[in-house]
Amino acid sequence: MRRGTRAMGERTWSMPNGTRAARMLPALSTAVLLGACLVMAAPFLWMAATSLMGQLEVFSSRGILPAAPLWSNYPEALTAQPFRRYFLNSLIFSVAVVAGQIVTATTAGYAFARIDFPGRQKVFMLFLATMMVPVVIVLIPRFLLIDALGWIDTYQGLISTELVSVWGIFLMRQYFRTLPRELEDAARVDGAGPFRVFLGVALPLAKPAVATLALFAFIDAWKNLLWPLLATRSMEMRVVEVGIAAFHSTYEINWPYQMAAGVVAVLPIALLFLFTQRYFVRGIQLEGIR
Amino acid sequence: MTGRATLPALVAVAFTAGTAATIAVAARQLGEAQAAASRSVARMAAELWELSGGADEAARSFVDAGIAIESVPAPGSGQPANRMGPGESPSEPGAHAYRAGSLQPAVWIAVPPQPRESPLPPTATALALLGSLLMSAWALARRRAPAPPGYPTIVALTATALLGAVAATTHRWADSELEALSDRHAGHALRAVEAALDLGTDPERAARVAGLPWAASAALTRPDQLWTMPQDVGVALAAIPDPPYATPFTVAVGRTTWHAGLVTLPAQGPAAPFRALHLALLGYEETRAPTVPLAAAATAASLLTALILFLLPLSAHPPLLRRTVTAWAFLAPAALLLAIFTFGPLLFSLWISLHEWHLVDPVHPFVGLDRYRQIILDVDWWTALRNTGIFTLHVPLAMAVALGLALLTRGSRRAVRLARLALFLPSITSVVAIAVVWKWLLNDGYGPVNQLLESVGLAPVSWLTSPEVALVTLMAISVWMVVGYQMVVFQAGLAAIPRDWYDAARVDGAGAVQRFRHITLPGLRHTLFFVLVTSVIGSFQVFGLVYVMTEGGPLGATDVAVYHIYREAWEFLRFGNAAAMSWILFAVVFVATWLHFRLLEGRAVHA
Repeated sequence: MRRGTRAMGERTWSMPNGTRAARMLPALSTAVLLGACLVMAAPFLWMAATSLMGQLEVFSSRGILPAAPLWSNYPEALTAQPFRRYFLNSLIFSVAVVAGQIVTATTAGYAFARIDFPGRQKVFMLFLATMMVPVVIVLIPRFLLIDALGWIDTYQGLISTELVSVWGIFLMRQYFRTLPRELEDAARVDGAGPFRVFLGVALPLAKPAVATLALFAFIDAWKNLLWPLLATRSMEMRVVEVGIAAFHSTYEINWPYQMAAGVVAVLPIALLFLFTQRYFVRGIQLEGIR
Repeated sequence: MTGRATLPALVAVAFTAGTAATIAVAARQLGEAQAAASRSVARMAAELWELSGGADEAARSFVDAGIAIESVPAPGSGQPANRMGPGESPSEPGAHAYRAGSLQPAVWIAVPPQPRESPLPPTATALALLGSLLMSAWALARRRAPAPPGYPTIVALTATALLGAVAATTHRWADSELEALSDRHAGHALRAVEAALDLGTDPERAARVAGLPWAASAALTRPDQLWTMPQDVGVALAAIPDPPYATPFTVAVGRTTWHAGLVTLPAQGPAAPFRALHLALLGYEETRAPTVPLAAAATAASLLTALILFLLPLSAHPPLLRRTVTAWAFLAPAALLLAIFTFGPLLFSLWISLHEWHLVDPVHPFVGLDRYRQIILDVDWWTALRNTGIFTLHVPLAMAVALGLALLTRGSRRAVRLARLALFLPSITSVVAIAVVWKWLLNDGYGPVNQLLESVGLAPVSWLTSPEVALVTLMAISVWMVVGYQMVVFQAGLAAIPRDWYDAARVDGAGAVQRFRHITLPGLRHTLFFVLVTSVIGSFQVFGLVYVMTEGGPLGATDVAVYHIYREAWEFLRFGNAAAMSWILFAVVFVATWLHFRLLEGRAVHA
């Protein structure tokens, strides 16, 4: 498990210099990588280019770049529907979900990793088994429950169902297991109770995993389409994903407007990723390697 | 340590409290229902009395029906007319009464509190007492001798069974009491309406005042338009061969019982040839037995008992008990939320799938496995499942590409880091935005991709509008979406394979292909398995792409399971069907995952 925490690619793969093929490999791999990047990025570049075209230009233009960038598409598209409100809703939703998942995942993960109680393995497997359950199966009961509470079209209705992530619990458990027990034992000898040990010793050590969890939780919440689609009704409560989908069906043929809205939806996540990518990789390593 | 004796005592107390709470909840709900029924009868009688002008014949009918009428001294001249107010009858304390103030002299119309056959459910009370005695006896016995192993399980099962029996008998008791109450209520209503009609009150007004469900004016005044009530109620009414006069009777429609009665209209006016009128009176469902609070009370009691019983065997080992309590304190936030929003809904969804459930209809009759039989015969659903299965075939393809990329790039760390944003972007950004972009790129007439094809002399392709191509297009986009993520997972897996193995293999003269087959693949075994299982589970749940790009079309070619269920539930509002389909999808995912474990892994991979 220790290796899970190691930064990605710590071992450098120096290729043996024996054969010609081996010498060509770095060049080849760079070329393939460049090609892959181009394929992956092309739709985004196209989106950005189209977002600056005129509404009719997109149908006639043979080129990829706009004749003259039409920056006014952005303010026009973003005020055609209350996107500011959509972003605010997405932000509130995602931040609340992140906070909730941090609480539930760290506490439960710590219990599974550190406390030896009867039935631990069974309960853990029961939790893990829910990852297999298609979300669609619980949507109707969740909707009826939220409806019975009068929480449809409210933040609490939107948020409350999303506060636990079993993946997050698994991630935190894996991480806590990689931490040395000695520090916690020392605190315990000093007379600290289990909650003080958790809050004072274990949790600060787990900061990197918490950061990873927060990041994944934020992005998953931001991308969530199905639940916000059902749990909200009014335009004022829409999140960005639902807003873009609604915008798409309203402005069916105004592609530049749609692309502008798309760019604005993609940009925050792209920037977030740019500055936090090492936490992503850590999360992937923690979940992928057992 | 006193735990050996105190915990059984706690169990006994918890059980007694649980059964008492269950019974009390039902009795209280029933009392409220009775009070409400008496109030509404009194109000209705008072209004009808006023309509009939306070005639003596009406008074006799009312008194026959058990409605008390008391004269009060004539009020002063300044008394406002038509004043009605609720209150207790002056001479009969506890009776629900309305004062009909517009009559001179003013009168109180009172309905006395209606006696129950028994104040508490007799069978349930007996069972609860018996259970409490059993638990107490057990608690006392534990004080003297240690119990044999397995004892707590037996007690837990007994306690749960007894609690269930108490809840069930209480429910039946409340049900029959409410039925009797409804009968009496219907009797009052019928008499009052008849009295008012006999005195020449406008039938329409009488019906409105009496609050008769669906006894719309047309039904009352023109008997040929009798069945303006829901069709099945009408059919059930018409099926009664020789309905009794003047006494209310019941008709069962589905699982709901309606009270009905025949009223004789005075022979006059255009309705003269039709003297008999049918009335569907009080809907029984309005005073339904307190199922939900009862179930909540019984469940809470069972959980509490089970919790104590769970802690029971640990009480002999204080450190273990302490650890268990601590662990569950840590688990509480996650476990509670999972119970409320995942495990509970799972069971609820199973229940919904076995019942008729329409969003706007409050009645949910049991349909059982018929529902599943119908769905299994539903061609559209099979198409959706087949499409989902075909769509899932993109997973191995994506994995092959991702593994190839990972192998090729494992030498160049810096390049990978630089490229990561481009590779990752499709898998982390808004699915909706991505779907919109692709919809634009792949547009039939003027989409850039088709324009590109044309400019190099190829024929344009109907990417999203041809039934043969659309699903494949979605699969390709999915590959594009997941491949970067999978590549990074594989890179992490590759980095974990010890270098020495490759060196040793090279010394032994193994070629690149052999090294791949005998070192890389086995080394990546867990990673490959993990990616495969999670990707397949995810791919079975594809929704966003279909929702934005094709809406299941063209001609159902991209109608995948989750999208199909979404429409079934939120467009056609057939929740029962949607729930059953979700369970079938779950079964498919479960079997697929189990097959993966069985065929590829041979044993659980979880640490």
